[in-house]
Amino acid sequence: MARRRPRRRKRSHKPFPWIKLLLVLLLVLGGYIVWLDIRVTAQFTGKRWSLPARVYARPLNLYAGQELTPAQLAAELDALHYRPVRAVQHAGQYSRNREVFHIMTRPFTFWDGVEPARDLRVSFSGAAVAELADRGSGHALALARLDPVLVGSFYPAHNEDRVLLQLDEVPVGLTDALIAIEDRGFYQHHGIAPMAILRALWVDIRAGGVVQGGSTLTQQLVKNFFLTSERSLARKLNEAIMAVLLELHYSKDEILEAYLNEVYLAQDGNRSINGFGLASYFYFDRPLAELSVDQYALLVGLVKGPSYYNPWKHAERARARRNLVLDVMANLELIGRQDAARAKTQSLGVGPVGRKAINTFPAFLDLVRRQLQTDYRDEDITSEGLTIFTTLDPQVQWQLERVLAGRLDALERGRGMEHGTLEGAAVVTSVQDGEVLAMAGGRDSKFAGFNRALDAYRQVGSLIKPAVYLTALEQPESYTMATLLDDSPLTYTARNGDVWEPQNYDRQNHGQVPLYQALAHSYNISTARLGLTLGVDRVIDTLRRLGVEQKLRPYPSLLLGAVEMSPFQVTRMYQTFASGGFATPLRAITAVLASDKTPLQRYPLSVRAAIAPGPDHLITTALLYVVREGTGRAVYQVLPADRNVAGKTGTTDDLRDSWFAGFTGDRLGVVWVGRDDNQPTGLSGSTGALRVWRDLFAGFNDSGWTQTLIDDIEYRWIDPATGLLADAGCQDAVQLPFIKGSAPTESAPCMRGVGSLPEAVDWFKELFQ
Amino acid sequence: MNAIEVPRLRLAVLTLVLLAQGCATPTYYPPRGERLPPPVIEQGSQAPGEPRPPPVASVPQPTAPVVRPRSPAVVALLDTAEQQANSGDLEAAAASLERAIRIDPRNPVLWYHLATVRLAQGDAQAAEQFAAKSNSLAPGNTVQQSRNWQLIARARHAQQDEPGAAAAEQRARELAGR
Repeated sequence: MARRRPRRRKRSHKPFPWIKLLLVLLLVLGGYIVWLDIRVTAQFTGKRWSLPARVYARPLNLYAGQELTPAQLAAELDALHYRPVRAVQHAGQYSRNREVFHIMTRPFTFWDGVEPARDLRVSFSGAAVAELADRGSGHALALARLDPVLVGSFYPAHNEDRVLLQLDEVPVGLTDALIAIEDRGFYQHHGIAPMAILRALWVDIRAGGVVQGGSTLTQQLVKNFFLTSERSLARKLNEAIMAVLLELHYSKDEILEAYLNEVYLAQDGNRSINGFGLASYFYFDRPLAELSVDQYALLVGLVKGPSYYNPWKHAERARARRNLVLDVMANLELIGRQDAARAKTQSLGVGPVGRKAINTFPAFLDLVRRQLQTDYRDEDITSEGLTIFTTLDPQVQWQLERVLAGRLDALERGRGMEHGTLEGAAVVTSVQDGEVLAMAGGRDSKFAGFNRALDAYRQVGSLIKPAVYLTALEQPESYTMATLLDDSPLTYTARNGDVWEPQNYDRQNHGQVPLYQALAHSYNISTARLGLTLGVDRVIDTLRRLGVEQKLRPYPSLLLGAVEMSPFQVTRMYQTFASGGFATPLRAITAVLASDKTPLQRYPLSVRAAIAPGPDHLITTALLYVVREGTGRAVYQVLPADRNVAGKTGTTDDLRDSWFAGFTGDRLGVVWVGRDDNQPTGLSGSTGALRVWRDLFAGFNDSGWTQTLIDDIEYRWIDPATGLLADAGCQDAVQLPFIKGSAPTESAPCMRGVGSLPEAVDWFKELFQ
Repeated sequence: MNAIEVPRLRLAVLTLVLLAQGCATPTYYPPRGERLPPPVIEQGSQAPGEPRPPPVASVPQPTAPVVRPRSPAVVALLDTAEQQANSGDLEAAAASLERAIRIDPRNPVLWYHLATVRLAQGDAQAAEQFAAKSNSLAPGNTVQQSRNWQLIARARHAQQDEPGAAAAEQRARELAGR
């Protein structure tokens, strides 16, 4: 007894600790809810999604007089997924009647503001736009631009992708259908629908496991947003609490908008497609606003299970699901019975399954990314939702990809090489402003690996020679176009005793050669002798001015191109020649917008005078001779003879590397052909890279390179054999430019006083008076 | 912007005058006739010592200049650039001018205006380079060249290069007197 008493007494005190425990539990639960609340609000209020940067091609400008073919416009519209229709009614549609297009453009926010949606009439005359007019008013328009082609995105590591939408951008029909199918009580409940849960619980108990959700849209959002897809009671409880919390803090519209952007709707390789905005592009190749009722009914149907209802793999299931959604919509009178019946007869309307690779031009995107990385951190590029406007011209890029692959195939076939032996890379820019129009990093243009245009450093061979000749021509008191250079055998002994004996490609010596011809025919010996006389260091100075940035060692072999450069580096050098002596940084990006479409940064055009106008005139004239008479003349087997092209071939020892760099009045192209293992290819610059270049430029309607006549240049007739003044008595006389006062004064022996040749620049003088 | 005098940009006033002159630039444009049927003949690798085939054609000699038609698109962009510049949005004006250059890259007037915008923004170095670029595209066009040299003088003045500025002014006067 005595023992028991205290026990009893103790027992009578027992309720008190239980309450304590309960209080502690409540406190813990309260704390837990507070913690959940903080999580919910922090995630929801702050940045909700990491958005990949979107990269756009240049927008296609449309204006009267523009050089553009109807086929090119049609290709551009196709790349933008505009739909050809008979009568244009909505944005994103066009009709074509031979040479007349009607286009309803989509509005688009550019760096300099919004380009409004327009109703355009574009008529062609041959290969140019004849007239551009507003279809509503009939008035001529000076200029319009299409929305730009999306060429790629930079994803964060987890590869989640979406096109963010605001609620007012989503068709009301779609949200109505979504609510009708997924959560009819959405506007009434407070985050959870107890009746729905009970019903689901009943099903689960009967099935002996969790099979049905009964989740509200809010709960689904919470699940996607904060939780794993694990199915447990604890998770279910968390989900319910967080859903209620979310509803406490945010309006129905905010929750619905978040849901529309978050919901998982497809898988594309290792990229997950989230939200209706991107799903619309993924399934139908067009923005959500352009979908028809049957199409968004399919999207709504897919919410339940994107892979189970995959419209490509399980078309019948998808169709049945879509039709169920349409029936529900008709029952709720969201659409008319007839409309529903008609919509049910439509095909699924999904785009081709093969068109899912978003990064269409990996080599160019690689360049864009590198240029961005000088200004942005990696995580900003992949998560801040930047809009990046680039200089890519899809028309040029398509052409480049086609000809590079096609020509390398043909070269291999023609030489009995195994398919895949050769590789190639190329860069195309616009001559005056240095915009990169296209880039190929290899013959397989879809391969996002080794980018040879940027990273393949190969010997450039004769491509370097113009720097040697420019260095000479910048000293008009010593060198002119007509100066005779010595092409006789050369033996050079370096200070360390090394002996260098350069040979010509044809193993011949050509005696005394006028300077412009030595470059045109790419003679090694006369070039080496000239460079040694000038000094290797001076040639390196010239290369620096031309924009070559990499390390250069002052060995004599540099004069003949024993220097490794990437095609992009070579492009930088030739850009300076092409743009009239102005070094012009090669730009792939023009502007960047922040995720709210406000301007963030512009990448402006800049130029730096690198070559004085006089010497520039001389060196580009010499480069014209390369293509007219020298190693580049195979260009004119295909290009029209009246199109001036300036350029240079490059070939390295044992025919390992084949190069051609050439420009017209509009575009510069640099092409490299070789092998990844650096073995001989049997191709010279002329028989390899030039052929690719030629195929490419044959597809352009470029104007020829135009030589600008300037005050300090005068033209003289010259006898090439002697480099002296010529007259009508000299058979092979050529007209060459000279910096004023530097032309020869002595007459060639062939001059017989039979009368002077016409002064070709007379018309020019008149213009000054 | 520092103490540099901001020139009031009167692009439109000059535009039509200069555009007309810019278009008559006496550069020589080879005639762009009909395309010849392309003789697609593959040649094998040229063996060493093989005689050179005769040249396809000689380098075209100077011919009369082609007067390019005035593009309404370029005029419209110049108008836009002017409005943007006058409302103080100089970077937008530069962007519009770059867009015009994309359409008509050899028009010296456009490069000149880009130079004036850069100078107004206080980037005298860029202004001088753009003016030089305009010069290189305006041979024989003394009115445009004179304007470019005036602008170069201002740009050099802004960089405290007084002798350079004086020389540029001298050059501008000479050209204006021609």
